[in-house]
Amino acid sequence: MLSNIADSLSQSNNILQKEANGLHFQNQKELLSNQKFNKLAPSIAMAPVSNPAEFLRAHTDDSKNPDCAIKIAHGTTTLAFRFQGGIVVAVDSRATAGQWIASQTVNKVIRINPFLLGTLAGGAADCQYWETWLGTQCRLYELKNKERISVAAASKILSDLTYNYKGAGLSMGTMVCGYTKKEGPSIYYVDSDGTRLKGDLFCVGSGQTFAYGVLDSNYKWDLTVEEALYLGKRSILAAAHRDAYSGGSINLYHVTENGWIYHGNHDVDKIFWEIKEKEKSFNNVIG
Amino acid sequence: MSQQDPSTINGGIVVAMTGKDCVAIACDLRLGSQSLGVANNFEKIHQYGKTFIGFTGLATDTLTLSAELKYQHNLYKLKENRGIQPEIFANLISHKLYEKRFGPYFSTPVVAGLSDETGEPYVAGFDCIGCIDAARDFIVSGTASDQLFGMCEALYEPNLEADDLFETISQALLNAADRDAISGWGAAVYMITKEKVTKTYLKSRQD
Amino acid sequence: MVAQYGREPIQHQFNPYSDNGGTLLGIAGEDFAILASDTRQSVDYSINTRLSHKIKVITPDLSSEHKNKKLVGTNKSILFGTNGFSADGDALTEDFEENYKFYTSSQNKKIEPGFEFLNNGNTTEESSMTMQSAARNVQHILYGKRFFPYYVHTIIAGLDEEGKGCVYSFDPVGSYEREQCRVGGAGASLIMPFLDNQVNFKNQYIPGTNSTERRKIEYLTLEECLKLVKDAFTSVTERHITVGDGLEIFIINKEGVRLEYHALKKD
Repeated sequence: MLSNIADSLSQSNNILQKEANGLHFQNQKELLSNQKFNKLAPSIAMAPVSNPAEFLRAHTDDSKNPDCAIKIAHGTTTLAFRFQGGIVVAVDSRATAGQWIASQTVNKVIRINPFLLGTLAGGAADCQYWETWLGTQCRLYELKNKERISVAAASKILSDLTYNYKGAGLSMGTMVCGYTKKEGPSIYYVDSDGTRLKGDLFCVGSGQTFAYGVLDSNYKWDLTVEEALYLGKRSILAAAHRDAYSGGSINLYHVTENGWIYHGNHDVDKIFWEIKEKEKSFNNVIG
Repeated sequence: MSQQDPSTINGGIVVAMTGKDCVAIACDLRLGSQSLGVANNFEKIHQYGKTFIGFTGLATDTLTLSAELKYQHNLYKLKENRGIQPEIFANLISHKLYEKRFGPYFSTPVVAGLSDETGEPYVAGFDCIGCIDAARDFIVSGTASDQLFGMCEALYEPNLEADDLFETISQALLNAADRDAISGWGAAVYMITKEKVTKTYLKSRQD
Repeated sequence: MVAQYGREPIQHQFNPYSDNGGTLLGIAGEDFAILASDTRQSVDYSINTRLSHKIKVITPDLSSEHKNKKLVGTNKSILFGTNGFSADGDALTEDFEENYKFYTSSQNKKIEPGFEFLNNGNTTEESSMTMQSAARNVQHILYGKRFFPYYVHTIIAGLDEEGKGCVYSFDPVGSYEREQCRVGGAGASLIMPFLDNQVNFKNQYIPGTNSTERRKIEYLTLEECLKLVKDAFTSVTERHITVGDGLEIFIINKEGVRLEYHALKKD
């Protein structure tokens, strides 16, 4: 059953067993038999019907059924690219349910650890939940192996998970970005179909085409850090402008060999007018 | 997959409010094709003599309907040799919409104006087959009509002076549009008093 | 063309959900938080009851002082609100309460040396759950039904570890965010833009600056917040059929939790 997938991928049982064995603990049995501690991932309930995936789609997928009762937050533009100075990650912050703007302040970059970032596109809960889970898996790896997990391995844990859940109805398009000594700066695209791609440059989400337009035409490997950060921000801004389901504000990150650095939250309403004024761009907009 | 609802393809909103010897009507400027923003100068309010009409809904029907009403307005002026009253215009629109009872325009107009005879403010809204909703306070229409209802119900008070009415309708429009993905991209406000009509463009979010 | 019926077979589907309407609203202040909801419970066009409770105060034991002051919770309490399908909401609330009791009572247990990690490194006697932990737990409960979701919008409110007001809101499958204010349920689309405007001062500029200088964001006082909440609910009651009858406002501050009730229109 699907509910066991997360468990089979989760190493928490073994870890807990070792912890309990290694120490004298009176309530060892209590600890190990207690479900709340035994599981890092919960068992996930399914609808009592013959085709749960179809059930889920009928009730939650607003593209298939606009009148569906449960609207799950969607819509995004996210990007990440490699360049001479590391990686730039830029994302918007809007969440929509249908045409309703549910939030303008969503955090779409998940800090898996000081060297790893995950971006969030698609189902907000899926990304938030599984990338947090990925964080725990990476930490367990670190404790076991006494070294940081590679970006390749981290992204593989996530893609194994999404592949196992394939067809169940997860919706996520994510980039796992990080730096390790042996790999250097690297980006992996992982989605809910189970796709896992290594690459230099990705844009993901409903506004991806608009972001690619700006990014592709200005991207060079030799960009300075300042230029690269600006290009990331500018590409998301273009998408925020044209794509109805992107907007709010822009979060910027730079991944270096010393880990990621946060470069702030930029309100679109403010930087749009600043950049328009400075670049003499966005001439379709009056004012 | 089910058919997309024609009245939410292009997006856009209109709101009208009455004040003390004045009336205001405002619209956003976006025209989109679902998630894609296409134009940011799509004015939804048209002037017919001293009466103003805002159209939301399917853009193509909006254009057809506004042209049809222009024709009807001209005919009225030629026949009657005088301008049309907002209330009369509302009845005219109602008839035009009901003519297409079984294949309606996907448009819900909003009328705003001052009565020539009494100077009373008049606002009215319609459903897409012509049922008139002549409210005493405000009329909302478009893809963010829920948001507009909430804003208007909370901010509106009767008998506002023109300046205060301007601020009220502007805040109602802007904040409602900011919670709708397919409205916004600029806004225009018409303030109509006996002496003059002013049109103001508002600065708004561009995302 | 007249629609033709009977061309296709009528399909029936298992539908375990219904919509019980209503609205839920949370605002965080500097040293207080508010969680409010209407008390109508309806389905389709019928009203099931005019006095249902969408908010539960999940609380440590009350002292006699609290009881004397007619407080319904302490400053460590968690205001737990659900809106949508009330059966799911109740189930979720019960689930969380069970976890809360388990968590807070195990905090009181003596922890063996070396096992502080089970307890966040906390060995004190104090029995409570931080808002941060509560929020993460709610995410896990909701996501536990990712493929058979709870049809609810959840908002929890309380005081954070610094004593500041805090509100967390959740979508039906557990994505969550800490916010200054949030409305859930039927009236969300009506009230949320109003709160953007009045709490976060969206689209407000300093007069005379030609829309260049924004009004600076500052905390609202409790009185201002309560006025907004009452305005919001009377407004949405006018325009939404599933909202009305009564308004329950829970206010948490360092004194504890206070409950206010106001009548709303019953039509």
